Amino acid sequence: MLSSVFAKTLYDRLRSFRWWCLGTLAFIALYGSVFPSLHGKQSLNKLIEGYPQALKGFVGFGGNLDIASGAGYLGTEVFSFWGPIVLVAVAIAAGSAAIAGEEERGTLDLLLSLPVSRTRCLLEKLAALVCEVVALAFVMWILLVIVSSAAGMGVSAVNLAAAMLGLVLFALDFGMLAFAIGAATGRKALAIGLSATAAVIADVLNALAPLASWLDSARLVSPFYFYSHGDPLRHGIAGTDTLILLAIAVVLGALAPHLFRRRDLSTP
Amino acid sequence: MTAVIRAESLTKFYGESRGVVDLGFEVEAGEVFGFLGPNGAGKTTTIRLMLDLIRPSSGRLKLFGLDVRKQSVAVRSRTGYLPGDLHLYERLTPREYLRYVAALRGLDGLGDGEALAERFELELERPIRALSKGNRQKVGLVQAFLHHPDLLLLDEPTAGLDPLVQQTFNELLREVVTEGRTVFLSSHILSEVQRLADRVAIIREGSLELVEAVETLRARAFVRVEATFGTPPPQEAFAGLPGVRELERRGPVVVLALEGSADPLIKALARYEVLALDSHEADLEDFFLALYRKGKSDAE
Ligand SMILES: Nc1ncnc2c1ncn2[C@@H]1O[C@H](COP(=O)(O)OP(=O)(O)O)[C@@H](O)[C@H]1O
Ligand SMILES: [Mg+2]
Repeated sequence: MLSSVFAKTLYDRLRSFRWWCLGTLAFIALYGSVFPSLHGKQSLNKLIEGYPQALKGFVGFGGNLDIASGAGYLGTEVFSFWGPIVLVAVAIAAGSAAIAGEEERGTLDLLLSLPVSRTRCLLEKLAALVCEVVALAFVMWILLVIVSSAAGMGVSAVNLAAAMLGLVLFALDFGMLAFAIGAATGRKALAIGLSATAAVIADVLNALAPLASWLDSARLVSPFYFYSHGDPLRHGIAGTDTLILLAIAVVLGALAPHLFRRRDLSTP
Repeated sequence: MTAVIRAESLTKFYGESRGVVDLGFEVEAGEVFGFLGPNGAGKTTTIRLMLDLIRPSSGRLKLFGLDVRKQSVAVRSRTGYLPGDLHLYERLTPREYLRYVAALRGLDGLGDGEALAERFELELERPIRALSKGNRQKVGLVQAFLHHPDLLLLDEPTAGLDPLVQQTFNELLREVVTEGRTVFLSSHILSEVQRLADRVAIIREGSLELVEAVETLRARAFVRVEATFGTPPPQEAFAGLPGVRELERRGPVVVLALEGSADPLIKALARYEVLALDSHEADLEDFFLALYRKGKSDAE
């Protein structure tokens, strides 16, 4: 069963993955059961209208604040709040564990004493990272499709998939950042700290952008902007945005082998 | 025939701090080569350089005539490695772990792992986290040997092994060299290297002190005698005694190296008031003391 670095890495992640799935199930069930009581309540939207602008930026998804509609509700609760937190957390955890985690535990020395090149080791771990994030997103998607139709949210499976694709790429951007920092330095806390900070900055930049005109261009460096502003829950995949998110992940992923190849491995 | 290991002017600095400096040595096929030095001498650094886990600052290092950097994967496929500081996957059982190692080495099952585990009486089914230090070390040894490597790089391999297991380990090493395979073994214990190795390199503070056959080294072996006197004897009290060299003096304490018969020394000691007398076979520290002394008197 443990016949490759790829398989071993996935196997290691499986323990925490089960809990993420369980948590996802609980949350989505909860969201689904609350929705029917909000459905069509314009008074709620009025309430949000009254929020200060700074707060609205954090709540909305693609500018859609109509939480009494299915797309608005999912956008606000799942895709701009809880979904990114969970997937980014999983991606960063996997990205930092890949190289830095093994290096700090001291098992990387023996692994790379085997006839496995550093690049191959890295690529297999990278593939495992992508698989883990995609798998969790897939679980989320299935549950959302079920809940959306059961609770009458009226968001199609296709649009949910479009939003989920954006979310996966968004999470992978930060997972790859953690992965690359770990590969470059071998330090897990640094990889987690920097990439989590980057994720928070991305969110804040995007949320506050409507407040100040100078921030308007600053949001263009925020992956969160490219993830959310096309409102894929209503409009489906936004091509350019998706490509930009993908490009960020690919560049970071491609950087990792170069950073990793040239340095000494450390011992704990 | 090319040497199995050839190091030329091999130097490694960790930033400013010294790893090894200007190492040059060769290891031939079919020998157990002991790499002896105190803690911090550079043994682990040398072995990790061979596996491309760290990169040299300068110099050349070839295994099987292959460059350890450019042909690292080929080098590693023919090499088995036991780290000095062993870290294993705690959640796996030895069987799962060994199967993983074997798979990455392109072998079916456990390779020779099953037979080796039996020889070392290693239980394969309990999780590694539940194993004692000695049993972990066995797992480390089995993973190093399971692909029948041409070269074994063993970093202080006997740490944590009980005497019975050491016996098995010695036998295994002998078999390996009988088959023409090669062992590079580091240690900080002189007697251990004398027992296991055919040739020895002694490394100290990153530099090679000497490389020679174990017999030659053994011929230099001596007994360390430490005598505490009531009043310090005169400087020349033990000069000229056959087989006796003075190594060190600290107030009333005199340390002597003794080769051959103890009789002349005992008779010389008897002329003074001896409060305490301690003697044991010279260890590495004593050996360095003698080496250093000799170097000084040669220079004079
Ligand atoms: N990662 C490192 N960074 C800085 N110095 C190191 C590092 N690893 C080893 N050294 C230094 O290199 C020297 C040799 O260490 P090492 O090869 O581990 O010695 P040994 O294995 O003989 O005990 C020591 O002085 C040690 O402090
Ligand atoms: Mg060491």
